[in-house]
Parts: sequence; C-alpha cells; structure tokens
Amino acid sequence: MSGKEVRSRAPIADTYRKKSPFAGLLEHMDKVKECVTILEKALVKYYKGDIDNFSEPANKISELEHEADLIKGNIRSHLPSSILMPIDKKYFIWLLREQDAILDHAENLAQLMDMRRTVVPIKLKELFIEHTHLVAETVSEMEKAVSKVKDLVESSFVRKDRDEVKKYIHNVHRKEWEADQKKYELTKEIYKMEKELAPMDVYHLLKIADWTDDIADHAENVADWLRAMVAK
Amino acid sequence: MIFGMALMTFILIIFAVLAGLYMAWNIGANDVANSMATAVGAKAITLRQAVLIAAVLNFLGAVFLGSDVKHTLERGIVNVDKIGDAHSIMLGFLASIIAAAIFVTLSTWKELPVSTTHAIIGGITGFGLVTGGADVIIWKKLGEVAMSWIISPISGAVIAYIVFRSIVHFVFASGKPAEAAKKFGPLFIGLTFFIISLSLFTKTHLGDVLFTGMNQIMLVSLAVFVVSTIAGIFIVGEMTIGKGYEAVEYLFKRLQIITSCYVALSHGANDVANAIAPLSVVLTTALKDTSIVDSNFSYYLLALGGAGIAAGILTWGYKVIRTLGSKITALTNTRGFSVDFGTATTVLVASRLGLPISTSHTVVGAVIGVGLARGLEAVDLSVVKKIIYSWAFTIPASMALSIIIYKGLMIVF
Repeated sequence: MSGKEVRSRAPIADTYRKKSPFAGLLEHMDKVKECVTILEKALVKYYKGDIDNFSEPANKISELEHEADLIKGNIRSHLPSSILMPIDKKYFIWLLREQDAILDHAENLAQLMDMRRTVVPIKLKELFIEHTHLVAETVSEMEKAVSKVKDLVESSFVRKDRDEVKKYIHNVHRKEWEADQKKYELTKEIYKMEKELAPMDVYHLLKIADWTDDIADHAENVADWLRAMVAK
Repeated sequence: MIFGMALMTFILIIFAVLAGLYMAWNIGANDVANSMATAVGAKAITLRQAVLIAAVLNFLGAVFLGSDVKHTLERGIVNVDKIGDAHSIMLGFLASIIAAAIFVTLSTWKELPVSTTHAIIGGITGFGLVTGGADVIIWKKLGEVAMSWIISPISGAVIAYIVFRSIVHFVFASGKPAEAAKKFGPLFIGLTFFIISLSLFTKTHLGDVLFTGMNQIMLVSLAVFVVSTIAGIFIVGEMTIGKGYEAVEYLFKRLQIITSCYVALSHGANDVANAIAPLSVVLTTALKDTSIVDSNFSYYLLALGGAGIAAGILTWGYKVIRTLGSKITALTNTRGFSVDFGTATTVLVASRLGLPISTSHTVVGAVIGVGLARGLEAVDLSVVKKIIYSWAFTIPASMALSIIIYKGLMIVF
C-alpha cells in the first residue's frame, strides 16, 4: 500500500489547487523569453546577410510555442469558475492570452522569414537591427514586470510592490513607444526605396517590420493587463 | 452474572467501549490530519513532528479541556431525565455511537467531507425522537449547536482574515519586513498562550484547584502573555533570518510550530466528546451504583478518548497527514499561521462554550478567510458547496441509521 493515496473525508485537500496559476504564468513567460531571444539573434543574423539559415530557429520557435500552449492550457483548465484568486481572474486570463500572442506572432514571423529569403538593402539593415533590439527590449521590460507577480502574491499586493510593478510597466510603454518610432522611420525608408526595389520585396520588408512590431504591441498589452491587475 | 452484573449489561458495555474507542481512533486516523496538514504542507513541521505534536496535544486537550463539549453531548441534546428508563438510555446512546461509527466509516470510504460531530449529534437526536418524541429533545441547545456549525467556519474565516491582513499591514507593507516580523511574531505567540491559559483555567477543575477567582485567572493569563511574548522576542531575536519576504516566511515557519500545537490542543478539546460522551452515558448509567463511577471517572474517560485519538494518529492518521500535506504545498507559512490561528482560536472558544463543532469545516473556513484576504493564489470555493451538502445529508442519514440500530438493539437486549 505504500505510496498509494489513502482515503479520507478531509475537505482541506479540495480547497487548494495543486498547481499555482502564477507559477504557471511565470513558466509560460520563460518560454516567451527563450523564444524572443532566439528570434532576436536569428533576425540580426539575417539582416547582416545570413539569409539562408532561418529554418533552424523557426523550428525551435515553433517547438517553444507548442510547449507554451500546453502550459497555457494547463493553467486555464485548473481555473474553473469556483476558483477564488487574489486578483480579478478575468485580468489574469487576458494577461496570459496576450503573453501567448507574443509567441504566436514570433512563430508567424519566423516562418515568414523562412519562407522567402528577401535580401535586406544595406541602407535598411541598421534600422531593421535597431528596431529588432527595441522590440526585444520591450519584451524584456515586460518580463521584469511579470516576474514581479511572485513578490506581489507573496506580500498580498502591498503598495511598494505595486509601485515597483508600475515602474516596470512604465518602462514597457517607453520601450514600446521607441520601437514604434523606429518602425515609423523604417517604414518611411522602405517607401522611399519603392522604385529601386521589387514590389514583392517591398511587400515582404513591410510585413517583416509590421510583424516584428506586433510583438512589442502584445508585450505592451500584457503590461496593461498587469496594470489592471495591480489596480486597487 | 459477571462482576455482579447481568450478562446483557456486560455485553452492552463491551460494545459501547469498542464503539467509543473506534470513534476515537477514527477521529485520530482522519480528522486530526485535516487540521495538521496545513503545517506539514507549509513544511513548518515534518511528518514525524506532526504525529508527535498531534498525539500528545490532542490527548492533553481532551483531558484538560474536553469536558464542556462532553457535557453538552451527554445532557444537552436529549433530556435523559425525561426518558427515565435506564435501559432505553443505554441502548439509545449505544445506537447513536454505532450509527455515527458506521456513517463516518462509509463517508471516509466515499471521501465525503462528513463531520464526526454532526454524525454523533444526528445519532443522538434520532434515538431521542423515537424514545421520547419531540419533547425529550432540548431544541434550544440543539438550535445553538446548529447555529455554531454555521458560525464556526465563519469565525475561522474572520479570525484568519484579520490575522493575515495584520501580517500584510505590519510586516509585508513595512520597509523592512524581516525586522517587522521579528516584532510582530512574538506578539501572536503571547496571544496564543494567553488564550490557552484563559481556557485552561476558566471554570475548569484545574482552575478551581489553582485559583480562587476570575481576577486571579486574568492576572495569571496576562502574566503568561507577557512572559511568552518576551520569550518569543528572545527566541526570534536570536534567529538570523536574512532579509525580504523569504526571511518573513522562514520566521513564520518557526512560529507555525506553536500554532500547530495550538490547533492540536483545541482539536482534542472539541472532538474527544464525539467518541466519549455516548460511552460515558452508557457506562455511568450501567455502573451508577458501583464504586467505579466517582468524581474522577469523567477524566478517566476523557483520557481514554484522548488515548484512542492518539492511537488513531499513530496507526493510520500519519498516512492521511502525509497525503493531505503533499496536496497543499501551495500554502506558505504566513498563510498557514493565519489558518492555524483562526482555526484553533475558534475551536478552543467553542470547546469552552460547550459547543460541539466541526474542526475540519472550521479549517476550510479559515483557508477561505485567507483567500478573501488576497492571501492565496487560488482557493477552490466548490468545497463550500460540498460541505453544505454534507451537512444536509449527514443529519438525516445518521438519525435514520441510529433509529434503525436502536430498534434492532431493543429486540436483541
């Protein structure tokens, strides 16, 4: 009988969830982090001219996206309506959803890069690289903010922890804004070159810029839901 | 004739003792785990420590603080004087304890959150109704008891809520949480000992022997408060715990050892009666003309019940504690401390008021209290529905079972 669970009529065990939703959220975030790091490196390499080797990162990103999906599913299936959380559960679920959207967009972008090997004009290289870094930084600021939930939950959302989260959230907005500016600059440059470039190249470059920027937008959305979560 | 009594009476006594011990064993095997699991789950104590604390302090709680609830179950639910007939009374209480034992065994097997307290009271009420009709039931007291079943989980919740919010306010929200915890912790230790001291000495045999009046008891309890707070400050002061929230949890991990003892003590005080009160009625009725029943008889019985509970913990309860402890690892020490304090205080006060309540349901109330205080990542409130169903189901079922067994016993004896 050893190791086998014993029967009891103790209601205490039914009161808790074995899996912590917040730990799940952080686990999911780790996948985002890994994924965006791989994507950032691969994009920079691509812009620098290594355009034929996107298959490997694209596959890796796909794998991570799938793993993260499983984590997300697991968290959500452990949150039936009878669950009481210290914050509005709706916000939590939306936050998770937006965090997952980062992975979806990263996967789409990686697959796009793998599908058509568009040579990036020398004039645009630097702008593309800078934009990529800014997007990655937006995500990394978001990660800092989300990581703080561990302390928030532990201290039961005391003001000093909430203020710290708000500070990180502010950083996310700032980085996202910078990324937006860079994208504007980049798009303008692409349009300027529309006569020199093949139409399909223009289309593709614009698409890369857009989809990269989407990642920062979703990171910002995560921050917004986090902001709602810590509001009093 | 055996020992000067009729064979039938002798057999009846044997049955009653076995049933009573079985119930006590059951409480130890099952219910104790429910209240000890928070500390084990929060890793404040090891399984071995939990077993030791639970066995010793349940026994002490039963012996020193168990008499009020025992009295309620013996005389507060059914007016035995109105029934009059000693034979019916003996068979009735025997029937109710057998009914409760069967019912509790079935519900353990089916894993329903049934309370031994509710089962035994259902059993006693059931036999009372068929022997003497509605007249012999002391409805006022029964009403109080029923109210206490609703109030106790709420009280557990409210106290745990307040304790946890205080920890948040005074410790987590302060600039230096670890240092704040060092000041705050001992105060609660003092408070714990103060409440225990008051309960031990107010209107108890022990209090009557040692002190002459309430003023003295209050004074002594205040002294206990001061001494234990200072002792707490010294013990905690010696600890090097580091900084930040982890240090706070580490400190509360130590404090939780004390609240675990508090829980075990209170649990023994309230639950021993479920096993011992019906047995006590059977024995005192059967042996009332012998020299066995003297002024200490009640304490021997409480000790027997306490020993039965301890045996239940040692032979089976540890497995249940282990299983439950592994299921509730999400609980950290500050939360476990709040749950323990809310539960133990409620149960101890109820015990001293002679109110037989369910410790298990009070623990659940306390957990929900901490959840409402935004202290838990996720609390499953569906357990509340389960508990309410179990209330609604336990009383009629144990009543019916007790009536059937009573009728059966009437035919045999």
